[in-house]
Amino acid sequence: MPELGRAALVATLGLALYAVVAGALAAWTRRRRLAASAQNALIGAFATTLVASAVLVAALVRNDFSFVYVAEHTSRELPTGYTISAFWGGQEGSLLLWLLILTGYAAAAVLLNRRRTRDLIAWVVPVLGAVALFFAFLLVVVATPFAMQTAPADGAGLNPSLQNPYMMAHPPMLYLGYVGLTVPFAFAMGALLARRTDERWIVATRRWTLVAWTALGIGQLLGAHWAYEEVGWGGYYAWDPVENAALMPWLAATAFLHSVMIQEKRGMLRVWNVLLVVLAFSLSLFGTFLTRSGVLSSIHSFTESSIGPWFLGFICIVVLGSLALVFARLPLLRARTRLESLVSREATFLYNNLLLVALTLTILWGVAYPLLHEAVLGDTRIVGAGYYNFFLRVFGLPLLLLMGIGPLVAWRRASLRSLGASFALPAGLALLIGAVLLALGAGSSIPGLIAYTFSAFVLGSIALEFVRGTRARRALSGGSWPAAFSALVARNRRRYGGYVVHAAIVMLAIGIAGSSAYDTVSEGKLVRGQTLAVGDYRLTYRALDEREAANATEIRAVLDVERGGKALGTVAAGKNAYTAERQVSNEVGIRSDLVTGEDLFVIAEQVNADGSVYVRAFVKPLVNMIWLAGLIFVLGALITLWPDAREQRRLAVRYGDARARVGP
Amino acid sequence: MARKRNPARLVIALSVAAVLAVFLLYTSIAGGGTPSVAPSELAGKTGVVTLVGKVTAYKGDSYGDGLRFRVRDRKGSSPTRVTVLYKGSLSDQFRVDREVSVKGELRNGTFVAVKDSLVTKCPSKYTAKKSS
Amino acid sequence: MTLALILGALLAAGCVVLVALPYLREPAAERDALDDRGELEQRQLALAEVRDRALGALKELEFDHRTGKVSDEDYRALVGPLRREAADALRALEPRAGTSARVKAERQG
Repeated sequence: MPELGRAALVATLGLALYAVVAGALAAWTRRRRLAASAQNALIGAFATTLVASAVLVAALVRNDFSFVYVAEHTSRELPTGYTISAFWGGQEGSLLLWLLILTGYAAAAVLLNRRRTRDLIAWVVPVLGAVALFFAFLLVVVATPFAMQTAPADGAGLNPSLQNPYMMAHPPMLYLGYVGLTVPFAFAMGALLARRTDERWIVATRRWTLVAWTALGIGQLLGAHWAYEEVGWGGYYAWDPVENAALMPWLAATAFLHSVMIQEKRGMLRVWNVLLVVLAFSLSLFGTFLTRSGVLSSIHSFTESSIGPWFLGFICIVVLGSLALVFARLPLLRARTRLESLVSREATFLYNNLLLVALTLTILWGVAYPLLHEAVLGDTRIVGAGYYNFFLRVFGLPLLLLMGIGPLVAWRRASLRSLGASFALPAGLALLIGAVLLALGAGSSIPGLIAYTFSAFVLGSIALEFVRGTRARRALSGGSWPAAFSALVARNRRRYGGYVVHAAIVMLAIGIAGSSAYDTVSEGKLVRGQTLAVGDYRLTYRALDEREAANATEIRAVLDVERGGKALGTVAAGKNAYTAERQVSNEVGIRSDLVTGEDLFVIAEQVNADGSVYVRAFVKPLVNMIWLAGLIFVLGALITLWPDAREQRRLAVRYGDARARVGP
Repeated sequence: MARKRNPARLVIALSVAAVLAVFLLYTSIAGGGTPSVAPSELAGKTGVVTLVGKVTAYKGDSYGDGLRFRVRDRKGSSPTRVTVLYKGSLSDQFRVDREVSVKGELRNGTFVAVKDSLVTKCPSKYTAKKSS
Repeated sequence: MTLALILGALLAAGCVVLVALPYLREPAAERDALDDRGELEQRQLALAEVRDRALGALKELEFDHRTGKVSDEDYRALVGPLRREAADALRALEPRAGTSARVKAERQG
């Protein structure tokens, strides 16, 4: 069976190569059947990659340890769900997942667009094929998942910290995001190669970009939740380069999502948009490079592998090639309209873009600087959280404020008078809330207080938009408030879906501010019966439980929780000792308060032989807002993505129009 | 009508200048990253540094009177061993032959660590593949 | 092992067929030219986009005015130029004599 897997990957390699060569030739010489043949090759590449993936999944499920990959990442007692997720638990498997999703997306993009934009698709195919070619090459020549050995009695097992539902979903979700950014990139390059000056490529890829961006955001939240619950140091984001690797493309994609709106509405920023999509895609490749080669000294240090130099080379080709193409097509991309006023919605989008790109580049510098320093000067340097947190505040807080300003400003030109009228209510609300919070002691952290005040402003402006819109809708066509509200959202899905997403980001900001600026921590060694006070809580160590699970021994210290004299149940924290993997993991105890949104977070740092326990406990205010924000984020994205019949008709008229006027 | 120069370019130029200014200000104050030092390079260094190395032996309780452990260079065969005195949280991954990094300063021959600054690196998950 | 061989061979055959399909379907095609956008068609498309932008901007201005984001005097100042833009775009797209024939010739040439 491994021969089938290897053969399938070789077939993928061949099909991808054909797609590149035949596709480019067909587009260059304008041959219809050859172009269709190249498109079929891409679709075929998905089928062959699917076969290769099926072979690997079958080997995993069968516990076939003659596959080196299966032996290294699973064991007999591993539950089936985690056995399947071991597919992407190791390097070769994760590359295969990348290729699978890439060919899947490519096939879908081709199938959905082949009838509508023949000349554009003709050039998109070789670009998508080239990316697929790179990954297929790695899998066939450099890092094959189908290496064989004489089967050992049992496998090495999956790293215990990966045996967690969030860790199962995190990599596929991230990859849906990373890989998804390939599609807008390919269409942008395709449009340049086809010498097209219209916005077709943006219209065709709008939903793809949104889906990729949403998946990347959710993937990061899943990772953060895993870090919070499973790694258990008390936080959810450590500015580890591996984490930044996913954040950077997401920020660039956020900037891109906003700036394409300007290009659609005003025909401006065309060069900027192409550069942004190149940046987003390059960063997603760079992110994969960072996590897959051993080039970092982060808390997850991977051994230096053979794929590092290849990735770096490919990224250089992508960046240099794209820039050369953009430069060559520069005359075609010149904008036809000008920014009329620095106080306009276009301008706020521009400021938003500048801040997002600035933040992305500073994070990139923080990641690249130690690597460059070591490469050039030889000695190692470490960039700490202080650097990142500083720039997060410098760029992030104004971004937060802009989220509230943008919706209240009109397109083209806004007079200060009408701005003042719109701002009055949300600004007043924000200042009021700020004053109240200050009185309640939030002044202990100035950035936190600013974050809260700005958040109130944004939520106020979003609410104002919904209220004003519903009122106008109702004035226009009558009906009840709920009917007017749903009609409003249905007719302006992108705008109001976008507002919901903004609300989610604000909730995220509130959760982050609360849990990092206003948390309390307490620690100490406890014998049975002893109490530890943290914040308003009192924890009393009651008992030490030990039990045998399927693949581990679980030890838990049970503590009674009490607040303000009331007993609130128990919380258990401790360790798991995994038998096959011979590793110990930290299992924290979390008690979430659903009313206040705060978490009582307990770590049993050390369990001693005499039964005493060293406990560290946190109170993290509002941290659950972060996870709730994830749900609202998905809701907002769904509203924005929802197909709009009216918009489809309008686009059909526009793109069919040009043809209709030229006859049958 | 006279054509106005596009303010977008001015805005972009000013923003780039502003970002650079903030960046330079910060790095000049906070320093460009903290140097990480191997045990063989530690002798004579003053001030707080980050020591990076591999654990060779340990005893004591970091949650009690203090954990004493010795580190050697990650790479190379230098015979230098540095003794670290550490109090604070200890990862379950900590054991002999693991790579660690810890902040602190050299005092009277012992590297006295900053509380809770010990980071133990997870053992490698991805091994280099030899073609079969 | 033999099963893998058979499946592998089937896979390879499938790939070849898939790639050759366009040629198998139309072994002798009279027109093999990829639909091309001539200059005239590109211009029409660009004008269509300008028209849609102008109409969209008008619609949004009306909506923003109704919701109170744009004051009465701002509305009066902005609506005139926008209406002119939309009118110009619509006029530019009006079919002129000979346009369709010219573009058809362009396509076939």
